[in-house]
Formats: sequence, structure tokens, C-alpha cells
Amino acid sequence: MNLAKQICPTTTMGKIENGALIVDVRKATEVANVAFDVPNFINIRIDEMEERFTEIPNDKEIVMVCLSGERSLKTTYFLMNNGYENVFNMDGGIIKWVSKGFPTKGSVDELLNTGSCDCSQSNCC
Amino acid sequence: MSISIKILGTGCAKCKQTTAIVQEVVNENNIDATIEKIEDIMEIMQYNVLSTPVLVVNEEIKIKGRVPSKKEVEELLK
Repeated sequence: MNLAKQICPTTTMGKIENGALIVDVRKATEVANVAFDVPNFINIRIDEMEERFTEIPNDKEIVMVCLSGERSLKTTYFLMNNGYENVFNMDGGIIKWVSKGFPTKGSVDELLNTGSCDCSQSNCC
Repeated sequence: MSISIKILGTGCAKCKQTTAIVQEVVNENNIDATIEKIEDIMEIMQYNVLSTPVLVVNEEIKIKGRVPSKKEVEELLK
């Protein structure tokens, strides 16, 4: 298995400007609190990914995102295993995105107090 | 032959609970088994599972996305 391609928020922003799709795998409640303010965006939470991944086009660049980059890394490998070649994981998640001053919708105050581990909010905990 | 048991999970509480249950069943029943905890995401994703914990017995996924009961594990390892 190849290693997932991990990119930073700045590289992600460059890909968004070139038409990349952002796939946020956080829960809807997390997205409602604070979301990426970007043009091409869908939310498929990690525990729905196995049923819904075919909604993701495989003819464009895809950047997987979550709170800290852990859940999205799993889904990046999942898409790679299902034949997606232009899929990237945004390392550090929306926490790092916000810290770099990139656009969001909603309140980031709570987010900035969150630790880098999103384990307690992931499907496994 | 020794049974190969793998517990896949990134280190959360449910994964630890699963490991403890499996260890208990193996010890109580004197089962000849090797228990391996897999926490690396790349290794976990070689099994292509998104919901953890996952219990793998002899390279076959038996349970995923939940903590199994002790009885279930006993049945699986019989």
C-alpha cells in the first residue's frame, strides 16, 4: 500500500483555487459549529463513508479533512483502496486551517481550545 | 496451531476494552494465541475498515466498530 499524500492548509487552499473538492468527514453537529468556507465542499461523516463514498467524484482532486487530520487520514486510505488516485489528506485538520487564518463559517473560539487529538469525537470512542 | 488475533484501533478506550476482553478470554481458557494490537492507521487501513475497534482472527475480520462481549469472543476463539 502506498503512503497517503498529506498536505498542509496552504497547499489545500491552492488546490481549492484549482477546483479541488473538500470532503469533511466530521459529524454534522461539528460542521454546524464551524465549517470550511470554501466553494467545493461536501460533508460525509466517517461512519457513512462506506455507503456514500461513490458520491465523491474520482475525476478531480479530493482533499479529505476533519478536526485534526486523523479521521480524514483513515478515509484517505479508504478512498485509495477504492481506486481514487487524486486524494490527499489535510494534515492538522480544521484546527490547523483556522490557525493559519483561512476562511471558516461559524464560531472558531471553541475550536481553538480543542486539543489536537480528536479521538473522543471519532467513531471509535 | 496458534490462533492469530489482531485488534485494530488507534488507541481509544473501546479499543483498549476490546484488547482486555480478548486477553481475558485467552487467559481463562488457556487458548494458544498471539494477540497483536495494531494502532498505525496505514496498517489498519490495509484491512480497509473505517469503524474501529476491529477484531481480526486468523486474518479474517470478525467484528468491527464495537466492543464485543466476552461470550462473543469465546465463541469466536473456540
